[in-house]
Amino acid sequence: MTTQTVSPRLADAPATRRLANGLVVYAVEARHAPVANAAVWYHVGGRNEVPGTTGMSHFLEHMLFKGTPLHPKGDLDRLLARYGAMWNAFTSEDVTCYFETVPVERYPVALELEADRMRNALISLEEVEAERTVIVSEREGYENDPSFLLGEELQAVAFSRHPYGQGVIGSKEDVQLMTRDGLYAHYRRFYSPSNAYLVVVGDDDAGAILERAAATFGSLEPGEGALPVRSPEPPQHGEKRVVVRRAGGAVPILQIAFKSVRATDPLIPGLQALAIALAGASGGAQEAASGRSSRLYRALVTTGLATEVEVSAGLNKDPFLFVIEATLHPEGDHAKTEARILEELEGIAATPLAADEFARVRKQLLAANAFGSDTITGQALRLGQLLATGAASSIAEWYARLAAVTAEDVRSAAAATFDERARTVGWFVPLA
Amino acid sequence: MTVARTHPFELRRGTAGRLRVAVAPIPGLRSVVALLALEAGQWSEPGGRPGVARLTAQMLMRGTDSRDAAAWASALDDLGAAARIDVGQHIAIVSGQCLAPDLRAYLGLVADAVLRPAFPAAELEKVRADTLAALDEESRNTRGVADRVWRELAYPPGHPFRSRPLGDEEVVRSVTVEELRAFHAREMLSRGGVLVLAGGIEAAQALEVAAAAFAGWPGAAAAQIRQVPTATIAALQRKDETVPDKTQSDVILGWLGLPRTDPRFVAARVTNMVFGADPFASRAGKVVRDELGLAYYVYSTISATKGQGPWIVRMGVNPKNVERAIDTTLTELRVVIAGGFADDDLALAQDKMVGELRVALESPGGIAQMVLEAELFELGMDHYDRYAEQIRAVTKDQVVEMARLFLPADRYALAIAGPPLSP
Repeated sequence: MTTQTVSPRLADAPATRRLANGLVVYAVEARHAPVANAAVWYHVGGRNEVPGTTGMSHFLEHMLFKGTPLHPKGDLDRLLARYGAMWNAFTSEDVTCYFETVPVERYPVALELEADRMRNALISLEEVEAERTVIVSEREGYENDPSFLLGEELQAVAFSRHPYGQGVIGSKEDVQLMTRDGLYAHYRRFYSPSNAYLVVVGDDDAGAILERAAATFGSLEPGEGALPVRSPEPPQHGEKRVVVRRAGGAVPILQIAFKSVRATDPLIPGLQALAIALAGASGGAQEAASGRSSRLYRALVTTGLATEVEVSAGLNKDPFLFVIEATLHPEGDHAKTEARILEELEGIAATPLAADEFARVRKQLLAANAFGSDTITGQALRLGQLLATGAASSIAEWYARLAAVTAEDVRSAAAATFDERARTVGWFVPLA
Repeated sequence: MTVARTHPFELRRGTAGRLRVAVAPIPGLRSVVALLALEAGQWSEPGGRPGVARLTAQMLMRGTDSRDAAAWASALDDLGAAARIDVGQHIAIVSGQCLAPDLRAYLGLVADAVLRPAFPAAELEKVRADTLAALDEESRNTRGVADRVWRELAYPPGHPFRSRPLGDEEVVRSVTVEELRAFHAREMLSRGGVLVLAGGIEAAQALEVAAAAFAGWPGAAAAQIRQVPTATIAALQRKDETVPDKTQSDVILGWLGLPRTDPRFVAARVTNMVFGADPFASRAGKVVRDELGLAYYVYSTISATKGQGPWIVRMGVNPKNVERAIDTTLTELRVVIAGGFADDDLALAQDKMVGELRVALESPGGIAQMVLEAELFELGMDHYDRYAEQIRAVTKDQVVEMARLFLPADRYALAIAGPPLSP
């Protein structure tokens, strides 16, 4: 055995077909298990909402589980449960995704269910009312978490115009006032083949997957197509700050966000490596042993300023945020910790990583990519996310872009990002 | 070394030091998942010292005889490997993943941590401070508070599951390096455990690599056998705890379960699925969330562990809906106890559990978890042949019997943590 890094298989490049109705289908063979994942992605999320309708895309996601004329509520649940399916949906700032991981012989059924609910969801008044309390409950669960409370405020302050400032789940007030007709109009506007794509990864021939998908989705009307979002965020010209003081937490939290770039920007691979250089590939929580060689772990956790530190460099359609979050000790000092973080950021923006440190970062970057795509679901969702944002057209291409990152790329990504004028700082201060 | 069945995955077994090793090669994958389970969880903690197992586990990755904490961490990150260590009711588990060509180096690092930890005093102070912070954080976290309160209601003083794995503040403040060293030698080194490897590896080579890594397992004093009296929830126990400045209540409604090695465990697991394990396929989730919209999440879990692990329903509920959500859940439970559920509810639960065995094959982690349970509880060489049949063989009468015996609708422990409940 050697310590060389293994390259991804060529099969990672998807077979692709654009149907006449606009739906694009991506098929990837994964032969290690008799399983397949089917995922439909819609180009709609928090980014497509305006004040008064925040959370609408997420609310709608819940309503897609409430039945169609062909499959009344409960049918879908029981059918997929019988297959042992792992199935769910999620909404982000940019997209909404529905997926099913099933024994391979069942994926045609998953395709049929997705094709049906793409255009035929009932979204009844009665079900909207029943689900409203579930969504409020979901939001209230998030509100119990100080990190969410601070992050929501930070995101709102960081963006002055772009809908990214509204987040995804929406305000409780908007959720409580949302109407069935409004949800249905949102559904008809965004849920159509011309505003979606399908990813299937699994133990079948890629050509057969494409044929099956074309037969299932091909007869759907294309839809009108959604208008592009045009809410560019104006440049920021100075640091913004936000403080949340609440009793609902025992430990102080510090978040620092910098305006970043969209997923298609050439800086993105360097930013992915930068995040790992700062905090490792899997976060720095107490039970985790990996990532402890990272710069911020050593500067904050090893020194006792914080108990954990995480960094996220999101992949988004529009320029988003590069976020650093530190959880402090109960008697922790926000100002001192903030100063220490900024000192580290200044250092990494000034001088390229030394060869051994860069090799360590690169290895973590590429290994994390391999781990994620060694499961069928992980591979499917990763590919879908890359396609959603335009970051890459395949996992192999993404891997190649990450593998090409240099130490200078990491430094220049840091220098381009860590600008005081593009910074938003948030403090969560616990009250007794 | 023996060769077990080849379907649905090949499994080879061997030994490494005091570890039983099981290897499941999955051709075509680039990585390997490695689960190392040591029989040194809460069950093994000395009476009155909750938290010692976790503190010991935390210290394993804080420096060894040959590498200080920073050097060990750098060596792990040099491999790009992911690793963490968690302590549960029965085991301490090192969960890791590395690229397949790095397996030898990865297991070498893990073996160094498990067999030759240095327990540096300065690192203990960091772990102590971090753990106290985590306890502080949990004291204002509704899930953490509900968990603590439920355990205190359900288990008598002195029971190993009465505390959370994080332990008690007094123990965390008072623990010494010597106490942790003794626990490590007595429980981890003498009991050994199980190592499962699943992923892009060749079986014979993986067994050789594991054996080499854990060769030279140090001798140790015999582990103590902890006698744990049977616990009982004799009457309904309820406690409401207010957590300031929260909007949602966390609810735990639960009972004491049965050991994984109990012949009735599979029937209990099927019963759990019929009652509440899944938000869509089980009765409680379907009614509480899907029909009445009372909660974002509601699900039940049964622990596969030694002794009487928790068998609980968890719910996240707005304070004004708490009583109704609990009443509805208990109503559904009474339906199960009375045998009033449809035959198809049982068939659905069985179909789902059998189907999940196939879907789990999609990931090295899914396969490793399946293998770990079978190896840890010594469920037999033919477990993978029999398990689906065992699930299918559970009858409606058995489900009723398990619910009646283990989930009495009038004797349970109920913990609620969150804002003050609405009148």
